Amino acid sequence: MSVVIAEVAGTPEPPGGSPEVAGAKIAGRSPRALAWARLRRDKVALVSLGFVVFVVLVAIFAHPLSQLIGQSPYKPDRGPNGLSPSGIPVGPSTHHWLGTDDQGRDILSRLMFGAQVSMIVGLAATAIEIAVGVVVGLIAGFYGGKVDSFLSRFMDVVLSFPFLLTALAMSARFGNHLSITIGVIAFFSWSQPGRLVRGQVLALREREFVEAARSLGSSDLRIMFVDILPNLIAPVMVYGTLLIPVNIVAESTLSFLGLGVTIPKASWGQMLSDASGSGLYQVAWWFLVFPGLALLLTTLAFNLLGDGLRDALDPRFDRIGKG
Amino acid sequence: MSPRATAVEGVTSPRGAHSTSDDAFVRVEHAVKRFAIHGNQLFRRSKEAVHAVDDVSFTIRRGETLGLVGESGCGKSTLARLVTGLQPVTSGTVVFDGQEITRLSRAQLRAVRRDVQMIFQDPYGSLNPRRRVGSIIGDPYAIHDESRGDERKRKVQELMEVVGLNPEHYNRFPAEFSGGQRQRIGIARALALKPKLLVCDEPVSALDVSIQAQIINLLADLQHDFGLTYLFIAHDLSVVRQVSTRVAVMYLGKIVELADADELYERPRHPYTAALLSAAPIPDPDPARRRQRIVLRGDVPSPVSPPSGCRFHTRCPKARQDCVTVVPDLDAVTGSSAAHVAACLHPVVDGEDLGAAAAVIDQSDQAEIPALEAIEKITAGIARSVDDQGSRA
Repeated sequence: MSVVIAEVAGTPEPPGGSPEVAGAKIAGRSPRALAWARLRRDKVALVSLGFVVFVVLVAIFAHPLSQLIGQSPYKPDRGPNGLSPSGIPVGPSTHHWLGTDDQGRDILSRLMFGAQVSMIVGLAATAIEIAVGVVVGLIAGFYGGKVDSFLSRFMDVVLSFPFLLTALAMSARFGNHLSITIGVIAFFSWSQPGRLVRGQVLALREREFVEAARSLGSSDLRIMFVDILPNLIAPVMVYGTLLIPVNIVAESTLSFLGLGVTIPKASWGQMLSDASGSGLYQVAWWFLVFPGLALLLTTLAFNLLGDGLRDALDPRFDRIGKG
Repeated sequence: MSPRATAVEGVTSPRGAHSTSDDAFVRVEHAVKRFAIHGNQLFRRSKEAVHAVDDVSFTIRRGETLGLVGESGCGKSTLARLVTGLQPVTSGTVVFDGQEITRLSRAQLRAVRRDVQMIFQDPYGSLNPRRRVGSIIGDPYAIHDESRGDERKRKVQELMEVVGLNPEHYNRFPAEFSGGQRQRIGIARALALKPKLLVCDEPVSALDVSIQAQIINLLADLQHDFGLTYLFIAHDLSVVRQVSTRVAVMYLGKIVELADADELYERPRHPYTAALLSAAPIPDPDPARRRQRIVLRGDVPSPVSPPSGCRFHTRCPKARQDCVTVVPDLDAVTGSSAAHVAACLHPVVDGEDLGAAAAVIDQSDQAEIPALEAIEKITAGIARSVDDQGSRA
């Protein structure tokens, strides 16, 4: 494709319409590039993104990091650095930077391993919810009619289950494995992105480019996934980012109730449960405060990042009310 | 390339025989399209329907441009979608190039889709905002699994050149183009599979007047270069006159008049056509001042319960009592050539002053009141469905 500037210049309507003549390399700014440019101007979102990245890195490298500080999340420190002579946890010190718990275990390294659990559950559950929700929402919105009625009522039914009660029952029945926790959380939340997607698809399927695709001979599947899906990425990404903290809290709740991660493994919810259950937080504040802080900051960062993403991806996108 | 060759073979093998014996490239016979109105009954479908296209028959000849004009809501676009097979007919047949497409399976229809392409009205809505131009224009190749990678890119860039776009803009998004350029993108996409019939659904009505001429010239050049047949829909009479070989006029779901373009514009036979033409602006002030405008009374009746007999009788200045009961056929009119057909019992004669004519029918209340009621029903239905949407969201 040797340049056809001469021909183009001859066309009645010069491409671009501005003085930037053909030949000058003007990189088309993709919607993604535009969104990134907007996000970079949002300081709160950037700080949140930084914190999220930090937590993710800590989660990934929890094992080498805890070795680096010379502590194990599982092995109780029975020495004077771990527990006082009367068996009370020792506060933050040069040995245990964030103190120890009731067994003399290092809180910092337990927090790092807890981050691992939170990230795995938060991301995996969200990924499942988004995948199922998008597919169901696409089908319901695209086909409409009876299919839509059926799927929408099904989503209503799922939404009307009392989460904690059913989750407790399911965990009791299927055991305390992490994948069970993820499955239980995902089962209760996929219908929210499902509804969101359905609503968007209802509007998108009336657009002319869908009819254009149809007139070209596109199959329904292709229209759904090649033509409509790219237009859903912005709202779905925002919604997904806001779902992650919800799922992290859900995991913590389950662990707090003794249904997620169990001792000696660490999760933030389980650590909170440990602290409040033993009543030791009354004398050892670090036992309760640090896991609580980790949970609070992480969910806050995800939520603020989600807000920033929404503003960056689609300035017109409405705020999503949760619940 | 080979699957395409065979597919085309199947459709066009009788081409030679056709062009000699029968010049009808597309034949629409008694096409009817009704859209059911959803009432508020939860379990009962309402019996009412919008008669969007009602018993329409016409042909499109190979290589010609058939213009289709009419007011908004008269069924032009629905008729276009029946011809392309995008909407199924309620009854009647559409024969494309010797093949009836009204009862084809989805897979068979897919093959026909290659030969019938459409250009849409809204250059902003008809291009996917999230996909790059190269991918949009290459979509037909992807859908029909034809040429990949570099070859597809080369073909797409050729198409971009054909329609007057810079092939280097292959990787841009639709938002980076102007309305006229976007319409060129839509045209390039429609041309990709080398169709035989191009249905243009108001291709220039969303464009700036100065851009309209460019697009129309482009379409004319393409017709010449690729031997295309056009069904050209518009509500701009001067645009239609310029591009069309023949022109059909639609009113309330029916074709009321069809003739060669010049013949129709010079000697309209149907009072509606005459009224429509008298409303078109003339750029020259002298004849514009001399011309007499025919102002129709009232509004277009509801397509839910169209008037009896001739559908135009409620507004026609020449209406007589028989217009209320007799449905006129699309027939040749005395004083015109056989190719000039109009559906009118009392056609306009040369030199007649329609502005001075007055309807002679007993118009008490039989026609307009039910129409009003029907409109109220529709608006109530729309309001209800909007409510439903709102409560769901």
